[in-house]
Amino acid sequence: MMSKSSQVAVQKAVQKRRVWTGARSVAEAVKLADVDVIAAYPIRPYTGIMNALATMIAGGDFYAEYLVCDSEHSQFEVVKHASAVGARTFVGSSGTGLVYGAEAAVVTALGQLPVVGIVGCRSLDDPGNFGMEWNDAFMFRDVGWLMEWSKDPQEALEMTLVAYRIAEDPRVLLPHFVALDGAAITHVASPVTPPTKEQVAKFLPPYKPLHPLDPAYESVSKAMHIAPSLIGPEQRKSIDAAMKRAKNIVIPEAWKAWGDTIGREYPPFFEGTQMEDADYAILSMGAYSRNVEYVVERMRESGVKVGSLRLKYLRPFPTEELVKALDGVKGIGVVDFSYSFGSPGNGSVLYNDVRAAFYEAEQRPLIMDYIFAGGREMTIPELEKSIQALIESVRKGRVDKPVRWVTVRGEDV
Amino acid sequence: MVSPELEELTWLAIHGRGVINTAHSSQIALTLSQAGVAAGREAFYYMRYDDSPERVQLPFIYYAVFGNPRIRVILPEEVEPVGSVFDTVAVLDSSLLVKSTSQRALLMDGAKKKASLVVNTSLKPSVILNLVRKYGCAQDWEGKIITLRAKKYGQNIALGMTGAIAKAMEPLYSIDDVVESLESEGKTDSVDAVRSAYEEADSLDVTLKAQDCEQYKLKSSLGEAKPFKGAKGWWDREAYMSLKERAANAPTYEQRIEAMPSWEQIAPALIEFGPKVSERNIGFKTSFARTFRPVIDYGKCVNCKLCHVFCPDGAIDYEPIKVNYEYCKGCGICARVCGSKAISMPHELQALEGLDEEEFLTIREALIEYAY
Repeated sequence: MMSKSSQVAVQKAVQKRRVWTGARSVAEAVKLADVDVIAAYPIRPYTGIMNALATMIAGGDFYAEYLVCDSEHSQFEVVKHASAVGARTFVGSSGTGLVYGAEAAVVTALGQLPVVGIVGCRSLDDPGNFGMEWNDAFMFRDVGWLMEWSKDPQEALEMTLVAYRIAEDPRVLLPHFVALDGAAITHVASPVTPPTKEQVAKFLPPYKPLHPLDPAYESVSKAMHIAPSLIGPEQRKSIDAAMKRAKNIVIPEAWKAWGDTIGREYPPFFEGTQMEDADYAILSMGAYSRNVEYVVERMRESGVKVGSLRLKYLRPFPTEELVKALDGVKGIGVVDFSYSFGSPGNGSVLYNDVRAAFYEAEQRPLIMDYIFAGGREMTIPELEKSIQALIESVRKGRVDKPVRWVTVRGEDV
Repeated sequence: MVSPELEELTWLAIHGRGVINTAHSSQIALTLSQAGVAAGREAFYYMRYDDSPERVQLPFIYYAVFGNPRIRVILPEEVEPVGSVFDTVAVLDSSLLVKSTSQRALLMDGAKKKASLVVNTSLKPSVILNLVRKYGCAQDWEGKIITLRAKKYGQNIALGMTGAIAKAMEPLYSIDDVVESLESEGKTDSVDAVRSAYEEADSLDVTLKAQDCEQYKLKSSLGEAKPFKGAKGWWDREAYMSLKERAANAPTYEQRIEAMPSWEQIAPALIEFGPKVSERNIGFKTSFARTFRPVIDYGKCVNCKLCHVFCPDGAIDYEPIKVNYEYCKGCGICARVCGSKAISMPHELQALEGLDEEEFLTIREALIEYAY
């Protein structure tokens, strides 16, 4: 039984609920984080975010240097340089636009500049596909960006705020992508309870760079065309160490601190549903993990011991944590909105990461890949059928067809 | 076939066209969704993602979805709900009553049997019913039509339509919930307009039998597609084209999806099997962008061919000069270049049915609203 005062508090919290798209949520987070420099260039679905920010700045809600650039490449250059001189920056893109900005984005990571970016996940062309697919974001998984997947507008807002804290931590200093599944999060408005300005101010103090690129600090940038033998490996090792510190120390710390601020618990790497005694686990990321949870709950009602595990961070990949979280599970189905043509097993990206994570585990469960490539959305019956195939494989003790193209019309050869 | 998780929900579909209607729809959907939240429902809204309304005059659909308090799944049919799901269909621009709208060929495609239709129009509900029977419906319908001249309520049509839709969606939320939602957005000065629209909108109970709808015959008469040759059916151009034609003519979304090819049947890589020389591409009919249609007065036409030359969409045949209304977007360039003033641009409803529609957005009004 709640006390009268906490009932009042709940009532107030309910009143503060807004109905926002993921794009608007992220823009509100950028405002709360008091970002200094924003670089924008339109491409759907990211466009929604730059529109929301432009509206806020034009309306006088907050002030930031807002640059509409001539391309994604310039966009990523702008934030890279602004971050180097000590600004808190915000950027974002989608699909092939993001790929066009890649050259600058790669250097941002090697420069250890804590830029926060949004990927509104979108299929890579051709032909002009704008469905939801992770391959645009996955192009950056190897180069030193932290990468996190949100599941709804609420989480997109929170992840953006926490991303600044993690990226700017002196133990990390790496750029951070927050991925919003295109359309499903960016363009769908759903109820959001935003944090207060005071809560955010306490959690995220202004960015104070250790070594801003400023003559007063006696720092200059490294020379271009430096001989590889001089600092190449060392520079990369520095990122490797930062990535490890991020996973082992900073990310758990930051989410703990955010949880304390808001007054609820946020597991840093996973969100599990019905995982306690699960024989089968469906591993997913992003918006459609809500579908997975829904199907899992429904199958539980008919007695199937299936659970859902939602992965939040792709980079750093929580290897040991994943093996531990899936301990005792007999079969794993990976929901993968991507492809990796010609990869080991002809599976896709997340699938192969999960398989690699289990290589040294004592118990290796059967693993299946459910490919949702090409931007067509998932339907509940398709997902149920895929889970049934996993259950059947576990019963037989082997997987005959590990990689399934779930949504494709025609024969899955 | 409707999946059970969709049946539990209440759907509002808002049809409009172009950038400015998009802004109106977003405003309407936000206000009504927050009204739903105020009434204790989960609510969310989105614009159908496949649509491109940033392009001038292109039709789009906005969806607002209201759940019981426990829905938390993202809907499986996120982009396009399949089956009979819409409780309320709202139309911001009445020229959409006689058109295919984005992927949905028929206005009432996907509507529940008891659905309400809310239209921004100067026409009477009974006239609207006739249009729906003729152009927009292929199913049994026992609902109501609500009409409103939305321009009368406030600076733009959003406030008026908010009130009219609220009337259609009662008792999901009350007009008081809508007022609360407006106030939470700081729009207290809009409350009166929304209230009076809610009270003054015309309402008519209607009954329509599927067999009486003219599109019903089309729907049932869609023939079989040509079978693909061979076991795999790889790259059989003729069969592919017949499939494409079937998809292009399908009056319902479900039928269109059914007609889409498998990966073995599509042409390889960059290639798309297309029209023969001098034919038009049946996969890219673009008439849904049209509010005003060019009508040629052949008595005045001197056959100079300027309209053919200037038409940006190649929608005017050369010999004899003739507008192909399946491809014309209604931009009006032909009327402007015509030296003998042989081309007029009446409203679609005027041209097709002789109806005098007064509720539409002129370019001038659009520019003023966007403060250019």
